[in-house]
Amino acid sequence: MKDGLTRRGFLGASLLFAGGSLVACNAGDPTGKATANGAKITLNQYYHAYGEKGVQQAVQRYAAEYTKANPDVAVNITWVGGEYETRLNAALLTPQAPDIFEIGDFRYQMIKNGQLAPLDDIINPAEYVKANVDNVTADGKVYGVKMMDDIMMLYYRKSVLEAAGVTPPTTFDELAAAAKKLTTDKMKGLFVGNDGVGDAGYLLLWSGGSDVIKDGKATFQEGAEAISGLRRLHQDGSLLLGFPTDWYDPGAIVQNAVAMQWCGLWAMPDIQKALGDDFGVIPWPAFTSGGTSVGRLGGWYELVNAKSQHVDEAKKYVQWLWAKQDELQQDFCLNYGFHVPARTPVAEKALQGGKLASGPAKEAVAISQQSGRSFPALWNTAMGTAFGQAVAGVAKGEGDAAGLLGDAAAKVQAELDKQLA
Amino acid sequence: MTSTAAPATAAKAVARHPRRRVDRHAVGAFILLTAPTVIGLGLFKYVAIGWSLLLSLNDARGTLELGSWAGLDNYAFLLSDDGFRSSLGTVVAFTAFIVPVTFVASLALAVLVNRVRRGRAFFRTAFLIPAAVSYVAASLVWKMSLFNGLPSGIANTLGDLFGMSPVPWIGTEQPPLYWIVLVTLRLWLQVGLYMILFLAGLQAIPQELYEAAAIDGAGAWQTFRRITLPQLRNTSVAVMLLMLIAAFQAFDEFYNIFSSGLGGSSTAPVQPPLVYLYGIAIKDQNYGLASAGAFLLTVVIVLVTLLQGRLVGFGRKD
Amino acid sequence: MTATSARAGGARGVAGTIATYLVLGVASVLFLLPFYIMLRNSMMTQMEVSSPDWQWLPAIFSLDNYLELFSDPSVPMASALGNSLLIAVVTAPVSTIFASMAGYALARLPVPGRGAVLTYVVVTMMIPGSVTFVPTFVVVGAMGGVNTTWGIIAPGLFNAFAVLLFRNFYLRFPAEIEEAGRIDGLGYLGVYLRIALPNSVSMLASLGALSFIDAWNAFLWPLVIGQDPASWTAQIALSTLLTAQSVNLPGLFAGAVVTVVPLAVMFLVAQRYIVQGLTTSGLKG
Repeated sequence: MKDGLTRRGFLGASLLFAGGSLVACNAGDPTGKATANGAKITLNQYYHAYGEKGVQQAVQRYAAEYTKANPDVAVNITWVGGEYETRLNAALLTPQAPDIFEIGDFRYQMIKNGQLAPLDDIINPAEYVKANVDNVTADGKVYGVKMMDDIMMLYYRKSVLEAAGVTPPTTFDELAAAAKKLTTDKMKGLFVGNDGVGDAGYLLLWSGGSDVIKDGKATFQEGAEAISGLRRLHQDGSLLLGFPTDWYDPGAIVQNAVAMQWCGLWAMPDIQKALGDDFGVIPWPAFTSGGTSVGRLGGWYELVNAKSQHVDEAKKYVQWLWAKQDELQQDFCLNYGFHVPARTPVAEKALQGGKLASGPAKEAVAISQQSGRSFPALWNTAMGTAFGQAVAGVAKGEGDAAGLLGDAAAKVQAELDKQLA
Repeated sequence: MTSTAAPATAAKAVARHPRRRVDRHAVGAFILLTAPTVIGLGLFKYVAIGWSLLLSLNDARGTLELGSWAGLDNYAFLLSDDGFRSSLGTVVAFTAFIVPVTFVASLALAVLVNRVRRGRAFFRTAFLIPAAVSYVAASLVWKMSLFNGLPSGIANTLGDLFGMSPVPWIGTEQPPLYWIVLVTLRLWLQVGLYMILFLAGLQAIPQELYEAAAIDGAGAWQTFRRITLPQLRNTSVAVMLLMLIAAFQAFDEFYNIFSSGLGGSSTAPVQPPLVYLYGIAIKDQNYGLASAGAFLLTVVIVLVTLLQGRLVGFGRKD
Repeated sequence: MTATSARAGGARGVAGTIATYLVLGVASVLFLLPFYIMLRNSMMTQMEVSSPDWQWLPAIFSLDNYLELFSDPSVPMASALGNSLLIAVVTAPVSTIFASMAGYALARLPVPGRGAVLTYVVVTMMIPGSVTFVPTFVVVGAMGGVNTTWGIIAPGLFNAFAVLLFRNFYLRFPAEIEEAGRIDGLGYLGVYLRIALPNSVSMLASLGALSFIDAWNAFLWPLVIGQDPASWTAQIALSTLLTAQSVNLPGLFAGAVVTVVPLAVMFLVAQRYIVQGLTTSGLKG
């Protein structure tokens, strides 16, 4: 009897085993990169997950249009949520690497690693703001096509500031004082990020007149005084922390959790929808009066993987989508979140009579023109981590700002030297 | 699986004079049976560790191939790196806190569950079932509900009853309230597992010992100290070791509670070593440095394990 | 202990029992609270979840959040659950049987060099699994395993600890039964397959159940190796939802429920094996 029982048990185990192997075989192509009907070549394209509704469907539509015009080429879109750059970097090591991908802050490191194909022959540099081309140029070759400019600035609730008798701040002192005054039981004064840091370290640094790197040298330790401002915001208890969504999502300000929020132009349509005209935009104020106010100018570049087996086809597609299709670029930049089209001919249309021609959107564009700042291409994730940890340390009061930033600067300098070697 | 009908006569022959010469059939079976494990461990442990030992001596960025020779630079960098050192400090502090708390809680629950007659199965299941939950799902509930910074968070709702104003639990560093979040989460997930081990240990204690103690008129606490604890010694040592190793490998809850989408978790108030290494390897793509970090961490864990073994006399029992 | 404390004295015994039940009752409520929160929030509306006023149950029970979760194009939850199931269903039996095979050979087969193989296996236990994620990534990456299901599964199939547990188990296995098999004309493999393996079903089930749970709940390795959304497991999809800062709070909790419920049900059904597996593997460590 015992024998029968165990035999049955063994049979069960073997079936489970066999079933497992069967499922394994049937799963087939686990990466889901099956070639679309009839196309000879499938290009894989990575996007980070844009938060606005409809963007994913839009880029899929663009890809389908391209295949319609070029039946030999199908484009498979991968929509990558979460830590985009991390996931992209790991994928680039593999045979399943994307042929085409976007990146937010351009990294010179990628050129140095030999990961990017030159794109000189598919773009007309005259159509772009000079900085957007220079940023991706190395040894006379252009490695990226700017898709759009993103502007980041400070949103504030007009009604809330008025009720508290606060005017939009023009210096850091005013900002800190306003944030403190606007903080109540139900609402915090300012939101820069759930970690209480976000971009604030860079903004304070720039608003104090320094930069992260100058002439191949790490220079952010010079901004210790300005960066210490973050400590004051923390001590005042006027920062919103631990909200379900982070600074790049309009959630906090539209749900009345905060009176002022650092966020991007992309969120403006959602904010308008939720708040009507009860909001305004200003740059991050100058650290001291007479100093420079700061808007962050970011955006995304389209890049082609140098190790792709279809570099030429990938370049053609990138050229079609981001250098030629004015209509699609308009659609992408204006119909979901707001972005400024990177190509000046397209941007001009939007800025003159289009959706960016009036109201707060226009003010945002003015902010980027007057005080837009960007990361240098030499800035990489390791430097960002070192700087971010030092800033977080300053915010928490873990040590004196000059010392913490000095240590980070030494690390960043070592990274810089390696890149420039 | 078809070779079951294999040489019957040979087997009989072996049975008659075993262990004299090398038995070729036994060798064949041995090779077949151990091959998956030997090859698998060889590839994913020995080759992996050997290859990354080489990588750790190279400057390998954005590549898994050997870059340029860097000697001990990566090790030197890490040993002088505040980030790495503080990640080791973090995990030591975390371990020093979580291990005793989990130990006491799971032992206490085991003793109590062992004491009741009715409902024992229910209680055991209630304490064990969180072990089915992943760290990710638990982090979600802890971050978005129990300890979220809004007035609607469960902890803040409870605090409100006592007149506390809402606190951002995860974002507050002074005092470091995020430790409460991290510790309660791990406690919830793990207590049941260790309680089961203690229950098994308790049930193995001979009943006569307690009867003798009762005759001597020993109180409950005395009985616990003189009989239960010493009898649970082996269990305690095993449990302690398991907790220690688990704590040193902390990653999931730290990653999920502090990470914020695109930005990752670089400004998290605390980073255990695995989160730190994840950042270097996968985010910064510096595989040489990350490999060196993996080795240093391994050395630390082996040392701590040996030290703990020495302290509590682990290894003597076998 | 129950008997002694009950005998020890009437009033004090009763008070002690009441106190015990009280503590256990409160503790079990606390332990079950997160499950309740998860389920409740997953059926609430956004407004209800973020309202500061306590509400025991959602005003309207609705499964809309679940429908929305599975139709969200940016996080493929359905395929992620499928991946997790596939991974767990393959890992649990295969890793357990591999361990049983090696454990049996190391315990029973008269082969010179057996000790060396045992050492070879035991040495790998010195280094805790997840610490080696960088080296393992290096090897699996070089083999082209990034973003593949096999890349997620393969390193988890070889478990030195389970090999040792099986070795201990087979060392205590009565030799007479094996002898009988030999006399019936079975070879070494035959004895293992027909006698040893069928007699280790409960051990296989216990360790298999634990391995299933580990595979389902694994996070670090699938995170490292499965960067492409098509290869995400349920845990990675859930973590992406969580860290992607979704404003859709009830949707998040619905995500937690769909990843937890399958395993919780399995846990309740196979609890006997799980407890047995835990005690075996915990106390032999």
